[in-house]
Amino acid sequence: MNICSLIVHTKPTQGYEVCQRLQVFQGVEVHGGTEEDKLIVTIEDEGESMSPVSDTMNALRDVKGVVNTVLIYHYGGEESMEEMNREIN
Amino acid sequence: MKLTRRDFIKSNAVAAAASVAGVTLPVSQTVAADADDGIRWDKAACRYCGTGCSVLMGVKDGKVVASQGDPDAPVNKGLNCIKGYFLPKILYGEDRLTKPLLRKTNGKYDKNGKFEAVSWEEAFQTMADKWIAARKAKGPKGVGMFGSGQWTVWEGYAASKLLKAGFRSNSLEPNARHCMASAVGAFMRGFGIDEPMGCYDDLEHADVFVLWGANMAEMHPILWSRLTDTRLTKPGCEVHVLSTFEHRCYELADNGMVFEPQTDLAILNYIANYIIQNKAYNKEFIDKHVNFTKTPTDIGYGLRDNDPREKAAKNRAKGKLTKISFEEYAKSVEPYTLEYTSKLSKVPKDKLLKLAKAYADPKKKVSSYWTMGFNQHTRGVWVNGLCYNVHLLMGKIAEPGNSPFSLTGQPSACGTAREVGTFTHRLPADLVTKKDAHCKFAEKVWKLPAGTIPRANGKTDGADQTDISGKPMGKTLIHAVAMHRALKDGKMNCFWVQCNNNMQAAANMNDESYPGWRNPDNFIAVTDPYPTVSAQAADLILPTAMWIEKEGAYGNAERRTQFWRQQVSAPGEAKSDVWQIMEFSKYVKVKDVWPEDLIAKAPEYADKTLFDVLYANGQVDKFPVEQVTDSRGNKYDNDESADFGFYVQKGLFEEYRLFNSVEGIPKKGHEMADFDTYHKVRGMRWPVIDGKETLWRFREGYDPHVAKGEGVKFYGKPDGKANIITAPYEPAAEPPDKEYDLWLCTGRVLEHWHSGSMTRRVPELYRAVPDAVVYMHPKDAKKRRLRNGALAKISSRRGEIVCKVDTKGRNKCPEGLVFIPWFDAGRLVNKLTLDQTDPLSKETDYKKCSVKITRA
Amino acid sequence: MSETERKNEINRRQFLGNMLKTACGVGLVGLGLGAYSKRASSLPADYIRPPGALPEEDFLGACIRCGLCVRDCPYDILFLGEVGDEVATGTPYFIARTGPCEMCEEIPCVVACPTNALDHDLKDIEDSRMGLAVLIDQESCIAFHGLRCEVCFNVCPIRNRAITLDMQHNPRSGKHALFIPVVHSEACTGCGLCERACILEEAAIKVFPMHLAKGELGKHYRLGWKEKEKAGKALVTPDAEHRYNLPEGVRYDLQGEGLIIEGEAEETPFSSNPLDTLNSGFMDK
Repeated sequence: MNICSLIVHTKPTQGYEVCQRLQVFQGVEVHGGTEEDKLIVTIEDEGESMSPVSDTMNALRDVKGVVNTVLIYHYGGEESMEEMNREIN
Repeated sequence: MKLTRRDFIKSNAVAAAASVAGVTLPVSQTVAADADDGIRWDKAACRYCGTGCSVLMGVKDGKVVASQGDPDAPVNKGLNCIKGYFLPKILYGEDRLTKPLLRKTNGKYDKNGKFEAVSWEEAFQTMADKWIAARKAKGPKGVGMFGSGQWTVWEGYAASKLLKAGFRSNSLEPNARHCMASAVGAFMRGFGIDEPMGCYDDLEHADVFVLWGANMAEMHPILWSRLTDTRLTKPGCEVHVLSTFEHRCYELADNGMVFEPQTDLAILNYIANYIIQNKAYNKEFIDKHVNFTKTPTDIGYGLRDNDPREKAAKNRAKGKLTKISFEEYAKSVEPYTLEYTSKLSKVPKDKLLKLAKAYADPKKKVSSYWTMGFNQHTRGVWVNGLCYNVHLLMGKIAEPGNSPFSLTGQPSACGTAREVGTFTHRLPADLVTKKDAHCKFAEKVWKLPAGTIPRANGKTDGADQTDISGKPMGKTLIHAVAMHRALKDGKMNCFWVQCNNNMQAAANMNDESYPGWRNPDNFIAVTDPYPTVSAQAADLILPTAMWIEKEGAYGNAERRTQFWRQQVSAPGEAKSDVWQIMEFSKYVKVKDVWPEDLIAKAPEYADKTLFDVLYANGQVDKFPVEQVTDSRGNKYDNDESADFGFYVQKGLFEEYRLFNSVEGIPKKGHEMADFDTYHKVRGMRWPVIDGKETLWRFREGYDPHVAKGEGVKFYGKPDGKANIITAPYEPAAEPPDKEYDLWLCTGRVLEHWHSGSMTRRVPELYRAVPDAVVYMHPKDAKKRRLRNGALAKISSRRGEIVCKVDTKGRNKCPEGLVFIPWFDAGRLVNKLTLDQTDPLSKETDYKKCSVKITRA
Repeated sequence: MSETERKNEINRRQFLGNMLKTACGVGLVGLGLGAYSKRASSLPADYIRPPGALPEEDFLGACIRCGLCVRDCPYDILFLGEVGDEVATGTPYFIARTGPCEMCEEIPCVVACPTNALDHDLKDIEDSRMGLAVLIDQESCIAFHGLRCEVCFNVCPIRNRAITLDMQHNPRSGKHALFIPVVHSEACTGCGLCERACILEEAAIKVFPMHLAKGELGKHYRLGWKEKEKAGKALVTPDAEHRYNLPEGVRYDLQGEGLIIEGEAEETPFSSNPLDTLNSGFMDK
C-alpha cells in the first residue's frame, strides 16, 4: 500500500485542462491548484490490480501540458485493506 | 463523511504538497472532513425566479446547515446567483411566524383589534363562518383567493379545486396575473397553447440575442451568464438590448437602445415593415403555417368604468380577431417607417436599422427574450404578439436558436399558475371556464356532478346555473385588479392571500388595495412565513411552511418540472399552504355552499365536508402514507401525509395528471411523467411522452405531436396555423404632463427578490442593498436641486414616498424617466403606481405612470 | 445604527472634553503623544483616513485633533483615535466594513478641516484616495466560481471605472460566463462601500490605507499585470502568500476576525418579534 503526494507543474493557464487529463489514471486524484498551474496530486496503489505508484508517476510526466512533477510525501505501509479502511473517528 | 486511516494519510500528503507549492486548497479538502460529517444532501429547485436553478441542500439535525448549486443540473451546472447563495437563510429569519394570529379585542375577533395568537381551530372556524356567510350573501364573487406562481404545483391544484369545485367560485387568481398574463394571452391568441416553444438551449444556439424589456443580467442571472458566454465564445454573435432606461445588460450590448415608453409597439411594427419592404420574409413558411389577422383598437386601459379614459375608448377590452390578407397586413405596418419610428421612439435610425437587419437576415438565428417590459404593459398582449409577428414572418421560430421566448419572474408561474390554471378563467391543462365542455370534462375527472364548476357566463347547456342563494349564478369571472376594487366596493367580503405579498405588490395601494383590505365589511386572511406588509394589513395571519419545509414541485420558464422532498420541518405551528387549503375545507359543508338542485344530483354529498368531496374522493387519497426515501436510503419526513393519512402530494399530482393523460382530453400537448419519476430526475421539459422530454415544440423531429412530413405544425390551433396579429402603436394611459413631468418605471434588483420578504431577512443581502432608491438622470436631479444621495419626495396623483436619489448607480435613466425598485417595505412604490391593466390580459402595467419629484 | 451614533457622540464629546482638561497639563500630553507617535506611523490595516488626508506622516503633523471633521460628517462614520488605540490619539478614521465613506459631493469633512490636514484642494470627491480596494481573496469570492454576485460592482460609486467586470468563459460548466470584478487603482477612491457590501462572512474585497498599501499592495499589483501578460488574459490574482508578508508592527490577520469591528448596524430592519412589526403599522411612515 503506497500513498504519495506530488506537485505537478503545468504549462501556464493549462492547470484545468491537465487536471482533466489526470482524472483518467487509476488511483490518481487532483486536490487543487488548477488556478495556480501547480496541481496537488495524490497517487495510491493497492493490491495487484493497479500499477505501482512509480509507474504512474512516470506516466504523469508524459501527459500533455505537464512541465514537471515533484514528489513531496510518500507513505508505504504493509497494513491490510481492512486496517486502512477502518474508521478512526 | 467518515474519516478512515487512508483518508487521514492522504490528507497529510495533500497538505504537505500544498504547503510546498504555496497553493491554498479549498477548506473542504483539507480540514473539513469531519465538519461535513452526517450532512444529508438532497436536490431542490431554487425558491426564487423562473430560471429554475437546481440546488443541493445539506441538512443536519433537522436544520439546513449547508447548500450548493447542483453541479448536475443542466440549467445552472452548480452555479447560483447571490440570492441562491443565501437560500438556507431565508428559512431562518428571526421573526418567522409560528402561530395563527387573529385581530382581537377583549378576546373576540375585532377588525381593529391587535393580533393575538389563536389555535388553528379558532382561526379556521372564524374564517369559515365569514366565508360561508359572504358566499351566500354576495354570490360567487363574494369570496376570493389570491395565490401565486410560487405555490407548488399541488398547492395551486388543491386551491383550484377548493374554489372552483368546492366554493363554486371562479374568484381564484394568482399573482402571475401581474406577471405573465399578457404572455399567456399572446400565446393563446397566436398559437392556441400556452408557454414557450423553445427552451434554454436556445441560449447556446442563437447568433443574435434581442432583449425586449428584460433585464436578464439582474433578474435571470444564470441565464444571463449563459447568454454572455455565447456572446464571448461564438464568432459573430451580437446582443441587442431595448429598454426605457439603461441597465446592466447594456454592458454587453452591441446595440443598446433606450426608447420612449410604449413605443416598443412602433419599433416592432417598423421591423415587420422593414422585412416586408425588403421582401426578406419567408414566403413558404407564412403560406403554410400562418394566418393574418387584426385585433380591435382603442381598447382602453383597464381602469374603473367611470374613468374618462375608459369612457373615451371605442372598443373597450375587445379582442376578437378578424382574418385579413397578407397585403392588408403589409399595409397596416406601412406607416412605421424608419423616420417615423425613430422620431417617435427617440432611438437613432442607425440603431433601429441594425436591429431590423438582424431579424431580417435569413442566415442569422435570432432569439428574443422579454419579461415584464412586455408583459406589464397596457398593450401587453399586443406587444407580445408583435414580436411573434416578426419571428413568424421570418419563420424563425420553434427550432434551436430561433426562439421568441417569454421568461418568467416566479419559480412556478408556468408550473402552477399556468399549467394548473389558477386563474379565474382557467382550469388545468389550458382548459377554460368559458367552455361548457371543458368544465364538464373537469367535473368528470373530479368525480363531481355536472354543473358544479361555475361557467364564465353562469350557464351550462344553455341554462342558468343556480347559486346557493337560489338565484342564477350570473357572470363569474373576476381578475386580480378587479378583486381589490370589489373589496373596496364591498362586493367581495372574504379574501385569502397565499404565498405572495399582495398588499406591497398591487398597484395603487392608497386608492384601492388598502381601503379594500381595511373595509370594515371584509375579512382578510394572509398565509405568510413572515410579518409582511400584507400580513400587517390582514385580519387573520396563518403561519406557513416555506419551500423545502414541505414536499414540492415547480415548473420553470422552459417547461421544466422539478420536484423536491421535504428537507426540514416548519417552525412552531406553521403549516404548509396545501395543508391549510385542505384543512380549511373540513370546516365547510357541501350544503353550506351548494344549492339544492346540484346536491340533488349527488345526494350522498349533502352532509359531507368539502374535504370529503374534493380530497377524500378515492383519487387524491389513493396513495397510502409511505416513508419517503431517496435511492441512497436517506429518509425524509412528509408532514402533510402524516397529518392527513395519505400521500397528499402524490395523490394531488396524479389526479392533476389525469387532465393530461385520460381518454378524451379536450387539449393535447401537456403530457407529464408520473410522480415518482420526477423525484429521480433533475426536472423534465413537457410534453413528456414515453419518458422522452420535448425541447422544441411544433417542429417535426423535436415534437412528437408533429407527424412525419408535417415539418411545422402549430397544433394548438385547429388548422395548425399560427396567427400574425396586427396592432398599432397607441399611447400610454398616463404620460407625463406639466405637473407630473416624469415617467415612473418600477422593477427589481439582483440582490432582492420581489417584495423582499425573504431576501431582506438575509443580513448580507440587506447590507448589500438596504433601501430602494430613485434612479434618475443627473440633469433631472439638478433641475430639482437634488444630487446623488439626497432625499427626494416622489409624488403621483395617488400618493407619495421619500427615498434617496441615485444618479450614478447601476441603472442609468434617460432624462424624463425615473426607476424605483419595489422590494422595499419601507418605501412602498405602489402607493404611486396606477391600477391600469392591459384590457385583454388584465395584467397591471407597473412600468408607466407619471410622477413629480421635489426635495424632501 | 443608534449604537454607532452613540459611540461617535461619546467619542467626540469625550475627546473635546479631554482636550480642555489636558490643556492644563501639557507635560502629560507631551509624554502621551511621544509614547504613541511610533505606533501612529503604522496605521492598522482597516483604519482608513477621511477623504483628502495628506500622506500619513504629513497628516499626523498637520492634524490638530480638533474633531471637526467627525462633527461634520453627515453619516457619522468617522471615529477619533482614543488613548490606547493603535491609531494616533485624536486623529480621525473610519472602518470600511461597518461604516464606509458615503462620498458626499460637498465633502463636508474636508471643508471643516481648519489646517489642511484634509487637503482643501480636493474639490471632487472622486479625486480622493482614501485607500485602495483590493479583491484580496479570490478563493472565497464567489464571482470567481461563476456565481452571479457582483455586489461590489453594483454598489461602487465610481461606476464601471473603479471596479469593472471582466467577462470570461467558464471552462468548468462549459456554457456559463464568469463575471470577475477587477479594481482599478486609477479610479478607486477607497471609500469602502464595496467592502461593506461584500456578502461573504469575511469580506473578499477590502480597502487598505494608501500609505500602508504602498510597498505591499503596489508589489502585488505589478505582479498581477505580469501574471496577465504571462497568461495572456485578464487575471488579476493577488497572491495569497503576500497576505503574510506585511511590514512589521501591522497586526492583522486576513483570515481572522480581530480587526473587523462587527456590525453595530442592525442586521435586518425587522424586530425579532413579528408582533412588533405587525402591530406597528407600515414602515414607510
